[in-house]
Amino acid sequence: MTLNLEIVTPEKVVFKDEVNEVVVPTTSGEIAILPNHISLLSQIAPGEMTIKKGGTQDSLAITGGFLDVHNNNVSILADYAIRSEDIEIAKVEEAQKRAEKVMQEKASDQDFALAEAQFRRTILELKVASKRRRKI
Amino acid sequence: MATILTLKRRIKAAQNVSKTTKAMQMIAVSKMKRAQEAVLASRPYVQKLISLSSKLSRTVEKEEKHPYLQSKMATNRTLIIVLSPDKGLCGGLITNLLREFLRLSKEEKEASYITVGKKLEGQVAHRKNEVIASFTFGSTTPTMEMVYPIIRIIDEYYIGEKVDGVKVLGAHFTSLFSQTPKVTTILPITVMEDLEKDQQYLFEPKLDTLLPPLLKHYLEMTIFQLLLENFVSEQASRMLAMQNATDNANGIIEDLKLEYNKTRQAKITSEILDITSASIGATQ
Repeated sequence: MTLNLEIVTPEKVVFKDEVNEVVVPTTSGEIAILPNHISLLSQIAPGEMTIKKGGTQDSLAITGGFLDVHNNNVSILADYAIRSEDIEIAKVEEAQKRAEKVMQEKASDQDFALAEAQFRRTILELKVASKRRRKI
Repeated sequence: MATILTLKRRIKAAQNVSKTTKAMQMIAVSKMKRAQEAVLASRPYVQKLISLSSKLSRTVEKEEKHPYLQSKMATNRTLIIVLSPDKGLCGGLITNLLREFLRLSKEEKEASYITVGKKLEGQVAHRKNEVIASFTFGSTTPTMEMVYPIIRIIDEYYIGEKVDGVKVLGAHFTSLFSQTPKVTTILPITVMEDLEKDQQYLFEPKLDTLLPPLLKHYLEMTIFQLLLENFVSEQASRMLAMQNATDNANGIIEDLKLEYNKTRQAKITSEILDITSASIGATQ
């Protein structure tokens, strides 16, 4: 038995494959989904999600969205999601510095909120990416 | 010889026009392509979102329906969002939008307006309508940042029960060659009834907490899609208009060149005639 996992964001389809297990952070805690899971709807919290397929494991940084499990089909509607192998550490670090700078410069409320969101996302991405590096 | 000079000048002017319109056409093509890609890329997401929202809202009991799903019907007023391009030179698109707006404003006597885009902004305000807010449309692909202030105003009016429903008037992209104005009702949200009913679903956290953010997100994406569609229509319409303009300019250039050559020929012939008749006169 496998799960059909599909992760879509407004920009593109990030992931579409058959997997054995999915671990997602939701607003009420982290949950693992195995095949034959009951139909479930949930809200995703920003964090790291893990996909297990065969013996391999894949990590994604995700910044919130919705989760729908039905008949072994798992659909994740994410605001933003990136696979760990797609994270470019140098770029992320640069983005983090930029965001930090904007936050320190006492920018307008809107700019600050944007920079803060960006900052959080970079922290998350770095965390997911560093995990992958350790594995290798 | 004045005619030859003026003809030359007119040819030059027509060539300039044709160059400008050609460039505008090319810009419109590339902008449209980019926007179309954005539409295509977000399509799977939107489809999933629609199916998820309809699944969720079906499970809700009639009595506890979220305000987004059921209007209070308290005021008999409608909030109409009018989308239009910022710039002209896009064929009949603006005229068509204006016509549709006039029809709609007759239908909806009691209405408040939000305008996005400069082209219809003045027209809407001019007709003594209540305009709550005006936004510019911009000349690049719309972003999600444009949606949030609009949502804030919608929330203030709709949740605050100042209006019964929200409609959007914008261009509908039927094909490259045809863009028609279209009115879409975005609030209250109407969900289609699916075949599979009575499914047992587990909600975590509770449905009451899950539904509002989902519906809000749904609303955001709907407005975003409408903005994108309006933008694609604008660019497609401009592309076509500019292509016609270029063709017309080229036609004029050809006609003028023909006339120019004819005049030149006539001038030469008459000069030769002059010379020959003069030389005949001299030998005799």
